[in-house]
Order: sequence, then structure tokens, then C-alpha cells
Amino acid sequence: MTPLDILTAASMGNPAPRIPVFCNLLDQGAALLKLSPKAYFANGQYVAEAQLQLLQRYGHDNVWSLHYVGKEAELLGCQKILFADNGVPNVEDFVIKTLDDIPKFEVPDDITLHPAWQSIAECMAILRKEVGHTHPICAYLTASTTLPAILMGMDKWMELFLLGPFDLRDELIRKCSIFFQKHLVALKAAGANVLIYASPFGSPYFLSLPQIRKDILPWMIQDLQGVDRAGLVYYCGMAPFNAVIDLVFDELAISTHYISPLADLAEAKRLINTRGLMCGVIDDIKMIHWSTSQTRDEVKRIIDIGKPGGHFLFGTGVMPLSIPEENIRAMLAAAFEYGAWL
Amino acid sequence: MMEAYIQAYNEAVFETDKNAALAVVNSALAAGISPENIVFQLIIPAVESMMARIEKDPDSNLAQHFMTAQIAADVTERMLAKFSSPPNIVGKVVIGAAYGDLHSLGKRIVMGCLKSLMVEVIDLGVNVTAENFVQEAIAHQAQVIAISAMMVHTATSELGSLKVRRLLQAQNLEDKIKIAVGGAPYRFDPTLYIKVGADAWAPDGVTAAKMIVNLINAVQA
Repeated sequence: MTPLDILTAASMGNPAPRIPVFCNLLDQGAALLKLSPKAYFANGQYVAEAQLQLLQRYGHDNVWSLHYVGKEAELLGCQKILFADNGVPNVEDFVIKTLDDIPKFEVPDDITLHPAWQSIAECMAILRKEVGHTHPICAYLTASTTLPAILMGMDKWMELFLLGPFDLRDELIRKCSIFFQKHLVALKAAGANVLIYASPFGSPYFLSLPQIRKDILPWMIQDLQGVDRAGLVYYCGMAPFNAVIDLVFDELAISTHYISPLADLAEAKRLINTRGLMCGVIDDIKMIHWSTSQTRDEVKRIIDIGKPGGHFLFGTGVMPLSIPEENIRAMLAAAFEYGAWL
Repeated sequence: MMEAYIQAYNEAVFETDKNAALAVVNSALAAGISPENIVFQLIIPAVESMMARIEKDPDSNLAQHFMTAQIAADVTERMLAKFSSPPNIVGKVVIGAAYGDLHSLGKRIVMGCLKSLMVEVIDLGVNVTAENFVQEAIAHQAQVIAISAMMVHTATSELGSLKVRRLLQAQNLEDKIKIAVGGAPYRFDPTLYIKVGADAWAPDGVTAAKMIVNLINAVQA
């Protein structure tokens, strides 16, 4: 079976040799090719080539569309990203500097014509050709209620979201929802088949449940209007969201859930059971300082909870660059070993 | 009577209802309570009560933390303008986002709570070098350097809090200036603060203010 087949089997609860094993190695590619992150991410061929090499090296199941936090902001006019040699890029230029910018803010008619899209297109074309028929290709899409944080800064967005003016808040979210739909269509057309719906404001870590129901859920429904739910994954930016799992099933019809390492995984398993697919996620920040045996033990713990009954895959967070390579190898070896169906 | 105001104020903050919280403060003022007593007998106990509530309630959310700080800082600023004489400050802290880090939400929450607790806060902004943290702490005679980091590489960088620690060591200032850290990476690895050379950390912005006041008290003891 190909990794794509194994993922489909896990989703359906069908027999497979093992559980799917996802590993996000976006930033490791630059180090592999001995490039600065800025040079690496500027060229889609580099990102695709590095991911294919990493796939060969580690044997995990997935690759990623070219992505870093801020890529969506670039598609919407961000002029400057702060690149670091030892970590993830960071938005340096906010598209929305004052509230007066919100009425002037416009979503491009065709985002695939934007210069910032071209490296994504290059990356996706190669990945689709090389592994599109065998491997899941993941892409990251920020929900309309969270995207403003990347456009204006989290603290200013939190202030606008909670204190208003609410007409401007809603105008911004509406425009972000339009962008979300265009982005999703473009990524699917380019070959992405696992779509990470990143909605931190849809997590009880950010807002209360009544606030989520009143101020977030209608926009999530709007984001996903007319969207095929196949391949869609609910994710809250590593924030726990067990308390909204039922809501996500019932109101959004998303059945795949990427569970935070800070969440109670056993509770999530009980909530999801066989009605969807659950990803158990390792705390990869702890992996920076763990030994290989600690890493293996944690993989076993996660798989022991998630695997019984199937409908389960193993995954990672952002996999910081400072994780020792022996821990990446130990994690994946343990995931394949404990994730095997005997 | 003040207990009822504290309870009503905190309920409003917990529901992230700023207007309701301000209405409680206005009621207290209308009832003849002085601006000084509003701050010292309503706002500070309310923030301390909120800290205790958030510490016990792992399900409290970021919006509540944000509003706790936002409202407390806003009310305190308004009341301070009406004080008959400037209040005594508890201590001083320099605060900023770590070198390479441009995130400011956590810092803003901590600052709001600290100001309402009568701590003088010197905001160094974002992307702050270790040298700048130490220079400003010395210049302002601050007891605490508070460093916010939302990304793993800015939390663990040799140019971040690890360098602040080295600079304090080199100048023999470790007894006079303590290092506090906070931000998402520390929530995922609660022992990370030790590895980055800090004296303490807190899982959220509201309890971070309490932790910083404790560090100030330790330095002044």
C-alpha cells in the first residue's frame, strides 16, 4: 500500500499494514540543502527537492506545500518577512497597520497570479509529479477569524475582536473568508489533498465556548461553504480543542482532528472514536532535550492511546530545527514499530 | 461592600465584558469610594483574585487573560490621574520580546496586569537584544528583566535569555536582577525556562505578573 492508501484505510477504518505517520519537516530542508531559510523558501524547487530527499531519508508518509507563517500575508500584500537561520520565519511588515487600512484592504482576484504564489506553484508542481499519486500532500490554510492576527498582529487583532469597532472587525473577517476560499481552491488545484484548516480562535484556549458559537462558528461555516470536506483537517495551532470536537463534527462536518499535545488524548479518542480520524501529536518541543528512549516512550504512549480501534494516525507539531536528528529517527522508528498492525 | 464590587467586577472581566466592568468601577466611584481605594481595594484585589482563579482553572482562556489586563490597566490609568499624590511603586521591570521575536500579545497582557499592581514597567518593544535588556535594566534600576518568546528558536537562542544570563553573570548582577520568561514554548516544556537561564516562568500573562512581583520581592528582601 502507498502512504496515500494507508491514510485512506485509516480514515475508513479499513485494514492496513500500519497507521499513517506524518512528520512535518519544513524548516529542516534549508539545513539539508545548506541554504539560508530566505534563499530556500524563495525557490519552490528547493523546498520540493529537500522534502523529497527527507522523505527518502526518513520514510514518513507526507510532504508539504511550500509554507511558513506569513506566506498568506505575503499573498495579501505583506512586504517583509523576518527570516531566522535557526527557526521559522516571522511576519515583520503588517498589512493592516491601522484600522483605517481595513476598508482599503483588498483580496486579489486571482491569487495564483501574485508573485508570492509562484514559489508555491513550483513546489507543488514537482511534488505532484513525483509523489502526488502515492503520498499525501499537505497544505495549510488559516481560518478567516485567525488570519487577521497575521495581517495586523495578534494583540491588535485580539483587541479589535473583543472590543470592536465590530463593523470593521466583521468587514476584515469577511474579506479573510473570501481569501480563504480562493486559497483553498488554488491549493487543491495545485495538488494538495490534505488541507489543514488552522483555526486557533476556534479553540477554547482562545475564547469561551459561547464566544466560539456566537462569533467564530458562523465564520467557519462561511469559510467552508461549498467545500468538499474530504481531506480537511481541524487544527487549532497546537492549542487544545477537545471541548469543540462535537461542535466540529456537528456544525462543520469535519471528521479529522489534529489533537494538541496539551490536550487529553484519551478523552479525544473517546469523543472521536470511529466516527472520524484522530491524529495523536507528539510534543516536539520537549524532543529538543529528550533522550532517544524518552522520545520512544512518548511515541508508544500516544500510539497505545490512539491506535486501538483504528481511525488513528501519528503526527508532529512544527518540529523545531533544534531537535537532534537521532530523536527524529527514534520517533519515526517507534511510530512505525508501535503503529504496525500485527 | 467592596467584596461585592470585586465579585461583580471579576465576573464582568471573566465574561470579557469591558462595559460591565467599567460600570462596576463607576458605581464604586458614585458611591463615594476614592480613586485610591478603587485601585488598592478593588482593582488590585480583583487582579489577584483573577490570578488565583486562572491558576486553578486550566480552562480559562486567552480572551479572559487579555481583558483582565486591558481593563485593569485602563481603570488604573484613569484612577491614577485622580490620585491626590503619586502612589508608591512595588518595583521596576523591563520587558520585551526576545531577539528575533515580533510577537507582542503576551507582553501586553503582562504589562497591563503589572501596571495595575503598581509595578513600573519599561517596555522595550519587540526584537530586543540581550545587551539592550541588560543596559535598560541597569539604567532603570529594575529588579526584573521579563522576556517574552513565542517561537522555539527565539526562546532557546544563544542570543536571547541565555545571553542575558551571561551578561548578568559577567557583571555580577544576578542577585540584583532576575530573569522571567514566558510564551508558548514554555507551555509545551515547563522545564525549558531552566535550560534558557531564566529564574522563573509562568504559563500565561496574568499569572506571569504575580511571578514577576514575587521576583521583585525576592530581590528586595
